[in-house]
Amino acid sequence: MPFTCEEREHQCVIRLQGEIDVTCSAELKRCLVEAISQEKDLAVDLSGVADLDVTALQLLWAAMQAAEKVGRAFSFPNDPPENIKTSICDSGFEPLLSPHAPGRPEAASEAADD
Amino acid sequence: MIDQYKQAFQEEARDIVLELESALLELNENSTDKELIGRAFRALHTIKGSGAMFGFDEISAFTHHVENAFDRVRNGKLQATADLISLTLAAVDQIKAMLDEAAGQGHADPSKGEQILAKLATLAGEPVTAQPKKTTTTADEAMPAPAKPGGDARSWQIHFGPGADLIRNGTNPLLLLRELRQLGTLKTKAIAAGMPPLAELDPERCYIAWEMTLITAAPVEAIRDVFLFVEDYCELKIEPVAAASSGAHAVETAPGEASERRPGRKASDSAQAASIRVAAAKLDQLVDLVGQLVTVQARLGELAARGEDRDMQAVVEEVDALTSELRETSMSMRTLPVRSTFERMKRLVYDLGRSLHKEVELTFEGGETELDKTVIDQLNDPLMHLIRNCMDHGVESADVRRAAGKPEVANVHLSARHAGAQVLISVADDGKGIDPEAVRAKAIEKGLIASDARLSEAEVYSLILAPGFSTAREVTDVSGRGVGMDVVKRNVEALRGSIEIASQPGRGSTVTLRLPLTLAIIDGLLVRVGDARFVMPLANTTECVELTQKDIEAANGKHLANIRGEIVPYIRLSEYLRVHGERPEREQVMIAETEHGRYGFVVDQVLGDHQTVIKNLGRLYRSVQIISGATILGDGNIALILDLNRLTQEAIRNLAMEPELHAQGARVCAAATASQGF
Repeated sequence: MPFTCEEREHQCVIRLQGEIDVTCSAELKRCLVEAISQEKDLAVDLSGVADLDVTALQLLWAAMQAAEKVGRAFSFPNDPPENIKTSICDSGFEPLLSPHAPGRPEAASEAADD
Repeated sequence: MIDQYKQAFQEEARDIVLELESALLELNENSTDKELIGRAFRALHTIKGSGAMFGFDEISAFTHHVENAFDRVRNGKLQATADLISLTLAAVDQIKAMLDEAAGQGHADPSKGEQILAKLATLAGEPVTAQPKKTTTTADEAMPAPAKPGGDARSWQIHFGPGADLIRNGTNPLLLLRELRQLGTLKTKAIAAGMPPLAELDPERCYIAWEMTLITAAPVEAIRDVFLFVEDYCELKIEPVAAASSGAHAVETAPGEASERRPGRKASDSAQAASIRVAAAKLDQLVDLVGQLVTVQARLGELAARGEDRDMQAVVEEVDALTSELRETSMSMRTLPVRSTFERMKRLVYDLGRSLHKEVELTFEGGETELDKTVIDQLNDPLMHLIRNCMDHGVESADVRRAAGKPEVANVHLSARHAGAQVLISVADDGKGIDPEAVRAKAIEKGLIASDARLSEAEVYSLILAPGFSTAREVTDVSGRGVGMDVVKRNVEALRGSIEIASQPGRGSTVTLRLPLTLAIIDGLLVRVGDARFVMPLANTTECVELTQKDIEAANGKHLANIRGEIVPYIRLSEYLRVHGERPEREQVMIAETEHGRYGFVVDQVLGDHQTVIKNLGRLYRSVQIISGATILGDGNIALILDLNRLTQEAIRNLAMEPELHAQGARVCAAATASQGF
């Protein structure tokens, strides 16, 4: 399993490892949905990630939306590797890296309307 | 599903490799042509990018190095020298081998790839880079350094909306964005407008679309190439920024800069239906089924004709028309232009030219001529043998040519054209031609003919096609073992074709392959001779006239018919084929165009046209050359299909060899009799 889920008192921490792609996207979704349902803050640790595909990015995006909808914080606790940050930015998902920054990008606002 | 797309990549990649090979060979003739350099670069770039996308990492990584060299050529830092082109062609062979290996056919020697890359690096003045080992290569690793937008850089607005199933098909859209980034400066914005809440989200579906601005000096084709393998499965719009921001008021765009809109499946199914790839086996099955339908239709027609039910007959006629149309359509689906086969020969001529130290230019015409796929598939080997043969034996060395007052660069010319129901493929060279005396002497020496045999020039030339015949003084690696031409003959005859050889000493030779347009179904005329029925290919026949006793007397019993003042010789099939039966008072003469001129074929009765599903004759009758096959009639009986060209040829030959004529007739008679009880 390329990820683990740790439940703390006020926070769920999901640690992702290696390549996160379509082969594990169903499992990642289940993990994220479960974490959101705990009504705790959600932290996703990308420090051990080698690569992310679009299925992973859109799940993280949707998880960020869902956490904010229930008034919970969404964060990346440890600094993701540079190549992952670059990959996120190059893919147009830059707002993921600054989830609390004011002024949601188009993607965020449009997704929130749904 | 992913395997299906990998297979699609394999097929596409093979096409691109051919395009690359063609561009390289043209570049060899014109090494500064920027369009050709661009074509070669784009082909390499596409193989590399798509290879990485579909998991063919080794192919992608190998091609990346070759692409780098061509990037330098493109930027004017490296010359497209003969050595570079030769090396790149070797790299193309390696890519082909890697594709074969990935398809489970053969093995690509990695050390060979490493040698090519090392030589390439030396030639390109780069550090020697070994071929990467088999590891997972990310697209970034496989990409060259981003191209810096030059002075002629343009800004493009790109909308890329992957189809919902793109990811399930094995495509990673982020790799496409990374590849796009290699073309210049890219700004990306993800649009998640259609994404449902987390709980409802299908994790294997792509909900994201991208709006991008790309500043690049690359042409729009290069941008489009990035999406080459997914364009049918995404919404793609590429337009110059000026046009994109112009709103309702159109801004003038330069030619070729019109926006590139590639609607996805939902937007327009008709757009993507322009062409699809279908497995050849499925087409074969379709033609086979249509063949069976044609046979059943013939039986249905015969049953309906026996009855009095007019309504039934009307329906049968309608089904007949539809079957005929279906037959035409299914046959046309299997035809392909011969151009790609001709294109492949360029490489052979290039390689042979280098190994034989002969400069030869390959030209061709009639590449658009279409042939049945089965024929095309089997045309490759005979053509290769013929070209090898003419370059080895026919084309002289530059010194000899110069001394003979010929241009130093020899010419090999391939041509294709339709002739009735046949296609003529010719290989002509401007070499020394064939010396009939040398051929004759060799044939006598080999015991192929008697020393006093009287042969026409064409018959002498046809001796070249005999097994083991070779007039080359030395056995060469290329074609001097005398195994080539008889293989050509065998292959062509297996396709129900024939070979003609013409030559002018000192001026060159022409070998013409006469091939049937199709191997499956033809339009024929069903005729009766005695109790036997035969089919004559409709494409050969021009008209039908009556032959009365009065006409025969007017010709003094000679086999000559007067067709509106033109004297046409005829062959009475009942006599020639020794089919017994009472001769009718009024016979019919079918007039046909043959290779030997207009000839008549006298039959007892013309029964009508017949869609003829060709079946091979058994081994027993394979030597009967005047019969090209058999067909099953509506009543279950068999009719033999006459090869009118061969029939005429045999008849002319047998005029001087009466006993042979009877033997030939006896064999056909046996075949016709054998078919009666089928």
